[in-house]
Amino acid sequence: MDPREVLGVSPNAGEEEIRAAYLRKVKEYPPDQAPEEFEKVRNAFETLRDPRKRTLAMLHASDPGAPLTSVLNGRAPRRLFAGPQPWREALKAK
Amino acid sequence: MQPKLTPGGQAPWTPGISTTGAAEETSIRQLLAHGKSKTALDRAKDLHKALGSAASEALLIDAYAGRIQALLDQNLALEAKSLIELVRERYPSAKARLDALRATSAARAGALDELLAPLADPGLGAEPRAAIEQAVQNKIADLTAIAACPALPADHPLRTAAAALDRAFVAATSGFVTDEEIALPEVSHRSPLGSWKLLVRAIAHLYRGEDEACREWLGAIKPESVPARLIPAMQSMLGVKPAAPLTPPEAALVSRTTESSAALRNELEKLDRAFADDADDNHIFKLVRLAMQECRRILPDQVETLKRLIFVRGSMNVVDEERMIAALQGMPRQDASFFRARAHGMETTGDDEDLAMASEYWDEFRQRAVREGWFGAKGMEVATLYIHMAGLLRKIPKDELSDIQQESRSNRSLGIEDSYFLFPDKLYERACVLDPHAEVFSQWLSWAVQESAHKGEDVAKAWHKIRPMDLEPLLYLLQAAEQRNAFPSALTYLDKAERIDAVHSVVRASRLRLLAGSALRHLEQKKPHLAAEKLKAIAALPQSRQGDRPAFLAALGYVIAVERGDTRAMDEMRVEACRLLGSDIPVAMLVCGISAAAKRRPVALPLVENFSRAEQAALPAYIARLVAIAKDVGIKKFHLPVPYLGEAARQFPRAKGSLDINQLRTLAETALAMGDEEFAYAVSGEGLSRGGDTEARFLVLRARSMPGQQGDRHVICAAAAAELARPHRDMETIGEAVDLVRGVTESDPFSLTLEQAREVVRKEIAASDYPAYNSRGPDYSALMPDNLCDCPKCRRARGETPHPFVDEDFDDDDLDDEKMESIFNERVPEGMPPEVAKMFFEVLKEGYRNGLSPDEILKALDGTGDLGGGTRGKGKKGRRQ
Repeated sequence: MDPREVLGVSPNAGEEEIRAAYLRKVKEYPPDQAPEEFEKVRNAFETLRDPRKRTLAMLHASDPGAPLTSVLNGRAPRRLFAGPQPWREALKAK
Repeated sequence: MQPKLTPGGQAPWTPGISTTGAAEETSIRQLLAHGKSKTALDRAKDLHKALGSAASEALLIDAYAGRIQALLDQNLALEAKSLIELVRERYPSAKARLDALRATSAARAGALDELLAPLADPGLGAEPRAAIEQAVQNKIADLTAIAACPALPADHPLRTAAAALDRAFVAATSGFVTDEEIALPEVSHRSPLGSWKLLVRAIAHLYRGEDEACREWLGAIKPESVPARLIPAMQSMLGVKPAAPLTPPEAALVSRTTESSAALRNELEKLDRAFADDADDNHIFKLVRLAMQECRRILPDQVETLKRLIFVRGSMNVVDEERMIAALQGMPRQDASFFRARAHGMETTGDDEDLAMASEYWDEFRQRAVREGWFGAKGMEVATLYIHMAGLLRKIPKDELSDIQQESRSNRSLGIEDSYFLFPDKLYERACVLDPHAEVFSQWLSWAVQESAHKGEDVAKAWHKIRPMDLEPLLYLLQAAEQRNAFPSALTYLDKAERIDAVHSVVRASRLRLLAGSALRHLEQKKPHLAAEKLKAIAALPQSRQGDRPAFLAALGYVIAVERGDTRAMDEMRVEACRLLGSDIPVAMLVCGISAAAKRRPVALPLVENFSRAEQAALPAYIARLVAIAKDVGIKKFHLPVPYLGEAARQFPRAKGSLDINQLRTLAETALAMGDEEFAYAVSGEGLSRGGDTEARFLVLRARSMPGQQGDRHVICAAAAAELARPHRDMETIGEAVDLVRGVTESDPFSLTLEQAREVVRKEIAASDYPAYNSRGPDYSALMPDNLCDCPKCRRARGETPHPFVDEDFDDDDLDDEKMESIFNERVPEGMPPEVAKMFFEVLKEGYRNGLSPDEILKALDGTGDLGGGTRGKGKKGRRQ
């Protein structure tokens, strides 16, 4: 998994931002309570901290063999304007 | 007699007893708290009738209020309203409280005028005002009705706020709105309609795709207010699974406002399956068109990403690129992301030529990524990328890579610098310029060493020049110089290495070895005076006084004295060597070995037959000791007369008990080096029987001593050795054992469990006799992998007959070089020059060994074929055009 996704930082995040995100995640997943998650967070941080490892992770951030349906992952479907009526009906129904 | 119970399950109250009255009040309040308002009201009436006090009236009014609320909750607004009027009339003191219930009743009944009318009175008390506003906040869902309510003046703040909210609500649900349009200054945060303002903003952010902001606005809505009713539906739109199933109108709202991606998912799954099944191209292109059409409709912002994914997957499946571009309705955008995906895709196919293409695509990626600002043109990222590209090229077999380089350059008329992405050397060089880090140089050196010793030295020199304090290049240069007997250079490098890290194990062990090598070289060059200088330098080293080194120095001194004709020194040195080694025989053997290493005239050794029995019995120990001395001082090949080794083998059964484990190992290795596998086999058996940490090492020696036809047993022993060495982290033995296994099973992974490995040791100790040609040896059939290749080439590599059913009396492998040459010489055409005949014989021999037919050998002779007997994949050459 892309280490940036693990830490929840943008592709352009600098060292400070990466460090802050790491500390946030460690609070969220303390090693004594969530050892597996902590391990992932730790590995991601180690990768991003080392410029060579970070580059290699960046080179392989996209998986060409991933299912094509991955384009739908984490994407909210398109939202349509339907006017006020269905909203009002949902409000009045309760 | 028991009192009769009321419908509420309570005992009736008996008037006149005050303590019981207090208990009855408690009981009535409990009934109210449990929602039993009717029973509570009946009993409160009875209590008030009996007591008639202010307290009982207050309790009665509470009971009425509870009953009215219950009626309202059951949507019996008319009944509730009648009861309110009745109580207001009878108990004026409860007016303010009943007004609040009246507001709720009016709100429930939809009597908006009735609900809001009191708000027009400026003198309305705080309590009824709050009750009305709470009813508006929590019960009224119709903003239009509030905005148009005639019971309030047109400029009443509630009406103007409702009108503004209604307009904003319609706008936000019908199209994109600006922040100004939903600022709504008419609606204060204290207004009963305040939550509507938050809802309108949440809707606006939802449509803008600002989901986080939408969540924040939803979180601020008062949970009891009317707008909070839309929270489950909106959370569902945000992708949160609702805690309870949505109501039909909520589900309808979600469905009408959210475009389903189910159709696109379905198309993409079909396309994924088609790629996985390597389906017909036409079918794939049809699915591509459908998927792209659906994506354009549902996820227009993902069209480029999907195009890129499909295009790369198509390339990996080798579909027609032109038709793929047509199906995608255009080439994907050729940006850094595209070339990254393309290069990564090519890396994963496992094809040699694709690896070269991947390197080329990575170079395209580099150029675009720099242009798009992913990283700088001369940073560490580019260096890391070059190293990665070089790593890919290293996976390609050398000759294949050379073909690719030549073809690419000739097709495009490029120079080496222009097509540097196909040359590991150039890539490493560029990487080291950008990031002169030891790790980067180390990778370059490891590649260069595999190419040639000369290239390795060039890289190590470049490394040393840029990073003079790194030890690795100096150690490499030192060893390379030593390999070619350039001892002065090696000693210069050693001086530098000692200045960096004098206690490094390799550095510490080098000086004595290099000086000894240098002395031998001087002897070889007939410069005994220089050899004597080196001997003096060795003698001055503290480490030269350890172990058997003084004996070596004495023997070396003797050889130098012989060369210088210094008989006195000769005598002194011989006596000293005899004192140290305990006998004339090992001294003679050591002198003989040193003279041979220095390429001096041979020293006559006594015949082994003339040895006493004690001297003969001591031969295995002598050999082990002298070979160890030679190895210690860096003599690569210690000369040992064959009859001496033969006698040692004969004496071994008697002498083996007196040899320690290191001597056994040295003896087995010496026997193997001199081609006496039978002796090595016997020594390895003794070594195995001693047990301990060296079992794995002796199992490797046993595998190496196995005769050729014992292929399976050879593999089993090597695999067992690897397993036994693993717990001791003996990397040298593991590496050697794995190489032995791979040498037979090629790339097939083959390993044993630790228990199986121990069983192999037990069986090998028991198998003390050297296997004869047709002997079976221990039965390892249960341990053999089922998938060993049965082709003649692999069978031959395992030392088995090429064909399982071949007549074993005639095996063409029996033709060794000597026999082949003799047959060839009988038939060589008359007049053929001997040099040409020799070359002709070499070609025939190699072809014959590789199982080629005479036609194939002739093709190799005229340059149109090769002697390897294999063909390399050329199927995708066209893709590089």
